Amino acid sequence: MSFGPISAKDTLVLKIEGLVCRYGKVSAVRGLSLEVRKGEMVALIGANGAGKSTTLKAVSGLIRPAEGRLIFDGEDITRASARHILRLGIAHCPEGRRVFPYMTVTENLQMGCHLRRDAAAVTADMQSLFDRFPILYDRRAQTAGTLSGGEQQMLAIMRALMSRPKLVLFDEPSLGLAPTMVDRVFDIIKGIQAEGVTVVMVEQNAFAALELSDRAYVLEQGRLKLSGTGAELLHNPEVKAAYLGA
Amino acid sequence: MDLWKPQPVGRLPRFRQSLSRKSCVLDQLLQHCLNALVLGGTYALLGIGLTLIFGIMRVVNFTHGELYSFGAYMMFMFVMLLHLDFFLSLVLAMLLGIALGAAIEFLLLRKLRGADIDTTMLVMIGAWIAMQNLEQLVWSGVAKSIKTPFPSSPLVMGALSVSWNRLFVLAVALGLILCTYALVNRTRLGRAMRATFQDPDTAALMGVDIGTIYMSTFALGSGLAAAAGALLGPIFVVTPTMGDLASLKAFAIVILGGLGNIVGATIGGFILAFIEELGAGYISSGYRDAMGFLLIIAILLVRPTGLFSRKERIG
Repeated sequence: MSFGPISAKDTLVLKIEGLVCRYGKVSAVRGLSLEVRKGEMVALIGANGAGKSTTLKAVSGLIRPAEGRLIFDGEDITRASARHILRLGIAHCPEGRRVFPYMTVTENLQMGCHLRRDAAAVTADMQSLFDRFPILYDRRAQTAGTLSGGEQQMLAIMRALMSRPKLVLFDEPSLGLAPTMVDRVFDIIKGIQAEGVTVVMVEQNAFAALELSDRAYVLEQGRLKLSGTGAELLHNPEVKAAYLGA
Repeated sequence: MDLWKPQPVGRLPRFRQSLSRKSCVLDQLLQHCLNALVLGGTYALLGIGLTLIFGIMRVVNFTHGELYSFGAYMMFMFVMLLHLDFFLSLVLAMLLGIALGAAIEFLLLRKLRGADIDTTMLVMIGAWIAMQNLEQLVWSGVAKSIKTPFPSSPLVMGALSVSWNRLFVLAVALGLILCTYALVNRTRLGRAMRATFQDPDTAALMGVDIGTIYMSTFALGSGLAAAAGALLGPIFVVTPTMGDLASLKAFAIVILGGLGNIVGATIGGFILAFIEELGAGYISSGYRDAMGFLLIIAILLVRPTGLFSRKERIG
């Protein structure tokens, strides 16, 4: 299967066509189109209010797009419920971690696989995640609200993985974390991609995001401004000036 | 002069007299506590139902008292008109309460999701008035009483006595409280309910169907209120307005216990019952219903978030 990885990378996983999202009368996304291929890591960067988070929310079914189409694995998910989209294999790791503060670590993970009915495999998955994050194993009976920010972020990532997703959407995974923790979280995300999971990441830290990702899209006021490989955009003068502070 | 001197009284009789007075005071206190325990169980049921609904759905449920009187009227219909078994009737009344709650959620609240809290409140006040008047229309305003299969002679333990019916009410109420607690804390549905309470958007991301959770919550809360009515109907009498005071007390209990706090609502229910019972017994029985509310005013002045609130929570 020498063609394996190459042809796999070419398979389109997610296609966004002319996406428009509105909050009341305010348009947050105004005609965005982009593509994500299997196994890639794609970053969405842009200033506050560029529509990055809104795009992720539309993909995971938290908000209904006003116009446009979303296609995942060949299926039109534009009008699908969050529940259905999760079943198809998209997990969303939301901004600000959003762990359930009064639930224990274990319960948070159980929420992550709420739709799964294969109890034995769930137990095995949880165990293998705990092996990767031993700190959280030690704190499994603690409520998530008592964890540190970094631990909460790891828990949020674990929770997203509990659904055995094909595509994970990360919204600002490094937000509010200590610098050492930021590196750790990016390593974890890189590891997830290495296991064959497709990753779309929204990141305020444009430099890290571009370094890490295969390709990136730069959004401005709900529209696509630029796109290219991470390396290309890192050296693009416009991007440098606007987002890398150079 | 000697006549005005107190008559010498033997030590022994005086001692015995005071002893009997003491034990009489103690018996009386224990009797009040026993009564409070019985009342507290049903108050807790009402409070838990309301706190779940408010905590998870953010709906101020003015129909709660009507579900309570609905339970009592269903009990009356099954036992007195259809001559069904008392215990079967109780189960049926509770199931119908659950069904009515689900219907209210589906017909009214589902369409109001995301609407202003004021709008929802007005709609619920309307539903409350409509339900109460419908009850008056169907059953007339005459108070109804319900026969029970329990022996009319109470259970006597020394100086204490309690009717079998009241003991039954306490046992069922405690059973339902424990079941609710287990449902919320030990089941998949309960976990989804708690997740929805803590963060509805993230719960939806986990695949929780928020509509189903809302309907289950409202149905469960309504079922508990109907159960409380069905349990107390045979002890008191059934009238169309019986729900009003029950509703007010349920709100008081929820405030006392902290919103969304099941344990708080349980303890709050018992506290309110004890205050009312002891207040009525030792201060003035005319102020029975006022006692609880006075206490709540006092507590809210000191702790505006309620006695047991840990910010806001459920479980």
